[in-house]
Amino acid sequence: MNRIHTQTNDSRYDWNALMHDGQVHRSLYTDPAIFELEMVKVFGGTWTFLGHESEIAEPNDFITRRLGLRPLIITRDRAGKVHALLNRCSHRAATVCRLPSGSAKFFTCPYHGWAYTNQGELVSVPGEGAYGPEYRRADYNLAHLPRVDSYRGFIFGTLNPEAGPLVECLAGARPLLDQWLDRYPGTEIVVRSSAQRMVIRANWKMIYDNAGDGYHPSYSHRSLLQIAAERYGPDYDMQYFGKSSDPDDSPLYVQSLGNGHTFLDQRPEMHAESAWQRQRPQPGREAYETALKERVGEEEARGLLEVAVGSGMNLNIFPNLLIVGNQLQVLEPLAVDRSQVNWYGTTLSGVPDEINVLRMRTQEDFPALGDVDDNANFEACQAGLAIPELEWLDVSRHLRTKREQVDSHGIVTGPVTDDLHLREYYKEWKRLMSADLKLTVER
Amino acid sequence: MAQVKSKPTPASSFYLNDRFYERLCRIAREWSTAGEAAGADLRQTCEGLLFREARLLDDGEFEPWLGLFSRECAYWIPASYPPGDPRREVSQEFNDRRRLEDRVARIRTGHAYSQVPPTRTSHLLANLEVAAIGPAELRARASFAIHTYRMEVHRTLAGWCGYVLIREDGDWKIQLKQINLIDADQGQENNSFFL
Repeated sequence: MNRIHTQTNDSRYDWNALMHDGQVHRSLYTDPAIFELEMVKVFGGTWTFLGHESEIAEPNDFITRRLGLRPLIITRDRAGKVHALLNRCSHRAATVCRLPSGSAKFFTCPYHGWAYTNQGELVSVPGEGAYGPEYRRADYNLAHLPRVDSYRGFIFGTLNPEAGPLVECLAGARPLLDQWLDRYPGTEIVVRSSAQRMVIRANWKMIYDNAGDGYHPSYSHRSLLQIAAERYGPDYDMQYFGKSSDPDDSPLYVQSLGNGHTFLDQRPEMHAESAWQRQRPQPGREAYETALKERVGEEEARGLLEVAVGSGMNLNIFPNLLIVGNQLQVLEPLAVDRSQVNWYGTTLSGVPDEINVLRMRTQEDFPALGDVDDNANFEACQAGLAIPELEWLDVSRHLRTKREQVDSHGIVTGPVTDDLHLREYYKEWKRLMSADLKLTVER
Repeated sequence: MAQVKSKPTPASSFYLNDRFYERLCRIAREWSTAGEAAGADLRQTCEGLLFREARLLDDGEFEPWLGLFSRECAYWIPASYPPGDPRREVSQEFNDRRRLEDRVARIRTGHAYSQVPPTRTSHLLANLEVAAIGPAELRARASFAIHTYRMEVHRTLAGWCGYVLIREDGDWKIQLKQINLIDADQGQENNSFFL
């Protein structure tokens, strides 16, 4: 086994000067050199979400993904083990796999025909004798991430040999992920239902910033709240966000879970009674509700319909996995001012088909009718950041109001419009950006 | 501009059941092979309707545009290429009549910020093929290029549309519009207008 180490020490930046006192500096969103560092250290130095095991359910299945800007092939080998291979031929760097998903025992580079197993082992080099007596084929295996691990189907990887075990690093996000997974007994999440993919002309953190922002819904999503009220009635959709003149006069809350992970809980309103009842009607609602009730009876249907609609949980697992409703929203930074967001649809195994049909139509609703307005706002933020003289973004909501409480596990809870999410994930961001990480790939 | 504030009838999505989806999936597999080529009159009728639809979208006349759709309709932008069964996959958008009305009403609030300012569009249709499926149903397929402009960004969306037209109240109406982007399974920028 060969290990390739990269030291990431960088003294160009004084991170403490770029974020302090409820402010972050514009350069964190606009400086291409900072972006390049992030792609190495943030997306590499900590456990990052790569994919879900149900996407590579069978032996020899693969998907292609990115870790930062590094192209990866996530494979399941013949024996069922998951690998995260760097998608780069050891010869001249061509990606050896150019499909988003599929099934393959081997990856053969189309350029000069070097062939690798789905565990990354180089098994064939045309004209191998030309490499001389010192050549050892094993030195040219596909490189892979040194550490890949799964938690209940969620595959994470890191280049950092010193990162703690995955379950520990998930910290307070773990029990909440359990709650999200255990909403309906005896079911499993399946991530094989395509994705809504959006490209946004903004830095990836603009999107991450918003993931725990309980301040924006009644403004950014005003059109949605208005049509819910006008066309359906006062209890529909997320109108609870705009109910009171003080947006913190609400049972909703945000939490910091440790290691940059955060949570915004809408359940105290959305699931106070029936989230199904307050859902702005999705296509096919009446047909499938009726069919379900005929099939399983009124009472069982009532429970099942609650998992046809969103979880009311916004669980943010730093740096790239945002669990929203029933979807996995995964961030893919593309450039300092360009990002992709993939909303992976999920189904549940072991429930009547009607539930999954309704889940598809429910999951499309927010990305197509709500997220688009957020994205327009992120792009507008990026546009405003072009002004060099105005250097700071404000992240100080509830920093000085003494409304945050810490429990015995270190979980911090604040009012729903608290900027806690931003301040806390930036601490982890700063830790990674400041650290002299010894990032490693193996082959 | 007229505001869409009417409450939808609760029965308005009973039609979107397994039978509807199964027919939709069957049609989606058959766009290129179904039926006999329509005669000149029907072809002209179809062309007129599709051109009118494109013009109403380009002019932002969304209420009369909605009027071109049948009562039990679907407007579908798959997120996979080729599209799978929308009962098992998320689409970029899958709208029944009620959600199409929601979408128009949303834009009309003036607070749908992805459309403030609105996207300007120019819908071009070409390579039209029209098939007659009995006396009351037409199926059409056309390639499209949609040029869009909003806030300093000019883009082009490309692909093909499948349409099912049916007779309703004496007029031809759009029962299904399936919009197949050539990059349906790739990242899309702000497509919050009507394609």
